[in-house]
Amino acid sequence: MGYLLPGSSTPTSATPRRTPGPAGWLLLSPLLLWLGLFVVVPTLLLVILSFCSRDPDAPGRVLYAFTLENYVRAFQPTYLKILGSSLLYAFLTAILCLVMGYPVAYFIGRAPEGRRNTLLALVMIPFWTSFLIRTYAWVTILSNQGFLNGILQASGLTSAPVDFMYTPGAVVLGLVYNYLPFMILPIYGSVEKLDQSLIEAAYDLGARPWSALVEVILPLTRPGIVAGFFLVFVPSIAMFAITTLMGGGAVPTVGEVIQKQFTAARHAPFGAALGTLLLLLFFAGLWATKPRREPEPID
Amino acid sequence: MELERTIPASRISPPPAPARGWPGLLRLVHLSLAGWTWAVFAFFYIPILLLAVYSFNDSKLNIVWQGFTTKWYGLLFENRVLLEAFRNSLIIGAVTTLAATALGTAGAWILHRYRYPFAGWIGLLIFIPMVIPEVLMGVSLLSLFSSLGVPRGFVTVIIAHVTFCFPFVLIGVQARLDGIDPFLEEAAMDLGATPWQAFRLVILPYLLPAVVAGALMAFTLSLDEYIVTLFTTGSQSQTLPLKVYGMAKVGLNPQINALSTLFVAATILLVISGELIKKARSR
Amino acid sequence: MNIIRPSAFAALLACALLATGCDKKTAGPETPISRETKSPGELRLFCWSEYVPQTVIDKFTEETGINVYVENYASNEEMLAKLQAGGALYDLVQPSEYATEMLIKEGMLLPLNKANIPNFKNLAPEFVGMGYDPQNTHSVPFMGGSVGIVYNKERIKTPVNGFGDVFVPEHAGRIVVPDDAREIVTMALDHLGLPINEINADSLAAARTVLTDWLKLVKVYDSDSPKTALLNGDVDLGIVWSGEGALILNESDKFAWVLPREGAHLFVDNLAIPKTARNKAGAEAFINFILRPEVSILISEEFPYTNPNTEARKLLSPEQLANPASFPTKEEWARLEIFHDIGGAASDIDGVVTDLRAQ
Repeated sequence: MGYLLPGSSTPTSATPRRTPGPAGWLLLSPLLLWLGLFVVVPTLLLVILSFCSRDPDAPGRVLYAFTLENYVRAFQPTYLKILGSSLLYAFLTAILCLVMGYPVAYFIGRAPEGRRNTLLALVMIPFWTSFLIRTYAWVTILSNQGFLNGILQASGLTSAPVDFMYTPGAVVLGLVYNYLPFMILPIYGSVEKLDQSLIEAAYDLGARPWSALVEVILPLTRPGIVAGFFLVFVPSIAMFAITTLMGGGAVPTVGEVIQKQFTAARHAPFGAALGTLLLLLFFAGLWATKPRREPEPID
Repeated sequence: MELERTIPASRISPPPAPARGWPGLLRLVHLSLAGWTWAVFAFFYIPILLLAVYSFNDSKLNIVWQGFTTKWYGLLFENRVLLEAFRNSLIIGAVTTLAATALGTAGAWILHRYRYPFAGWIGLLIFIPMVIPEVLMGVSLLSLFSSLGVPRGFVTVIIAHVTFCFPFVLIGVQARLDGIDPFLEEAAMDLGATPWQAFRLVILPYLLPAVVAGALMAFTLSLDEYIVTLFTTGSQSQTLPLKVYGMAKVGLNPQINALSTLFVAATILLVISGELIKKARSR
Repeated sequence: MNIIRPSAFAALLACALLATGCDKKTAGPETPISRETKSPGELRLFCWSEYVPQTVIDKFTEETGINVYVENYASNEEMLAKLQAGGALYDLVQPSEYATEMLIKEGMLLPLNKANIPNFKNLAPEFVGMGYDPQNTHSVPFMGGSVGIVYNKERIKTPVNGFGDVFVPEHAGRIVVPDDAREIVTMALDHLGLPINEINADSLAAARTVLTDWLKLVKVYDSDSPKTALLNGDVDLGIVWSGEGALILNESDKFAWVLPREGAHLFVDNLAIPKTARNKAGAEAFINFILRPEVSILISEEFPYTNPNTEARKLLSPEQLANPASFPTKEEWARLEIFHDIGGAASDIDGVVTDLRAQ
């Protein structure tokens, strides 16, 4: 997973990566500035907030008095359970998106050159509709009196309506639907550069399609797979609009719990602590799966 | 070049199967890929189709079908507020896409080209806007802007949107850069190109598929963002999602269906006519 | 490999950019913060999404020449966050009753000059001088409403009169409730006959015991549009806002509305002027305008909540007035109770409900 960290990208001995001179730093400065101002500073504000207490008289106000109380509370089994189930949903979503999306990305990447951008745009355009509207479109399909139940009953497959809506299955469907493009697009970026001659060579040498896939195609598109996995898995951890709309919100998700701390529960410091923990957990996961530098096999 | 490694000898050694087997199997693979792709496209578009159908529904609540009407389209064109919100969304989406794509692409390339100390840390920071729940980002940016005295409006919304969009571009482009021929740039510069020319004429075209993909993702994310926008926007820069989410309470007005339908139909038409023009030109 | 060429996507972006250029007039002042705008021609309204109909705003502008800039929020707390953060100065906000109380306590509202709001007399007596602002010195009711029960008459055959009849094992997996911890705990407190505005460890423990059984039966938590699940047949009964209930009754006659016999939450959304307002006169003119009967009914048409305006009620259709969710009877009204600011207890309430939901 940690594969994506720039520092750890496949270190081929021949890469002429330069030590940055003044020009190199100058080029980096916009990115650094942006990250510093709009990512680091807000994150620091958040971390500070997570150690603050609330004003007992006006809980909307924050007192800058150090406390660990918010973190102690965040480690209660309830919140760990909520975090765990959010991670599980996100992971399941990412895996399903990978399985569903890879063939599509491959097909688009191997399509005639002029058609690729068109197909790519067609993947994304459905998501230029309003989120709520397309989610409610799913509701009209899946609901008790919805289209799917209508078809099932008309065909005699079921006699009574089946509950599709407000189930874990509906949540996963909603998540996969909305995040699938974010798997397809980065994998496409990797598939598109696959050297056709390499695949043909594999076939010429007698490789079956399956072994061509496992031995040649998948390894070469691995950066795209990893990127796609991240672009789906990471945002879906804290996503909760889909969970509440399609799952009924029976089990709260971590994103929803955090959101509530800033609204109805009026406990911003606790929300900040949960958010900080989520960040730390993510970084720990990234670090734990970071490939250690191993000697490159000789080409 | 790497075949020795990637295809173990044991897989190569069995003699080729009967002549009809391979091409036939490959055809089958290709056909099933195509079939799968179209199935996924159907999965993408069936709800959209339904959404379009419901734009003709004669019920304000958008839940139960009550008969055919085109009145929502008429009302939509009179709905100044909704159209203005949609226009704001497009402006914010377009500017965000340009900025996030530039920042993400350049960032990926620069981080790849140079060996910076702390590069690993920079890589971690890039993930923060993706991991962090939207409300935290919204609230912290709100307090940042207000402590800097920046008035809320287009500028603040676009800054916020760029911040959560550019990591998507950067990570996608990074994946494309991985395994790029390290001598591509060298070769261009040996031919007399400046580093900028080498980037523009050699590297960027190579990265383009990932850049296009990143731009598409950035635009989509920006167009639909609700919570971060809520905290960073001002009265002049109300976006479509802000209007739509508010409507859920009184019933999602089918005017939104009409608007979504028109927009999707228009973009699909644009994309397909672009394709046709290309085809006509190449003939 | 692709060569750079203007793709359809780029063309689309170009279109969007062009759209920016062609409408210069709306790219007006970007909420200037330090510059004092002397012009009385501007009113910055910070209100619930979609709560003030555009027709009302347009009429006001037409009549007074005051341009209204609307900014929306989706919860009282978001409004408070933005109000406290500063940066944009609002002339008029729309807090609910407990948020109004909070704002008054914090000294964030300007007292109203009633002389500028003669239409105040149109308000129904029961909406005047409510507990959160006893003299209406700082706020004027905009709309009211309550929490209540809606059930599908075709599928629920046992009588439903209160919360206790909703949360019975036969209804397991057929119930929708608001995704709102305080509303959920209030149902239990009302059921137990405990005061809903005095939250302490004991009352919370008692509520928890009740809710442990109740929440197991709930299928959907939805504050925004519980009507979706009800009208689609995915649930058969639920606790909803009265405006939502009124919409359901209008849409389908399969449903019935009940005001719980145990009592329920009455909410009142108000108009109030924040301290930072720059156009107080305009804001008061707007409040007065809203209180006109013929304007007030425009709001009722969009949002079938309880209209607090006696004169406006005279102009409503018999059907509108007959909707039991919009207009509770005198006897029902007596069972309703407003929320007061409960301070830090909001977090305890949230903790209990989150805990039970995660079971």
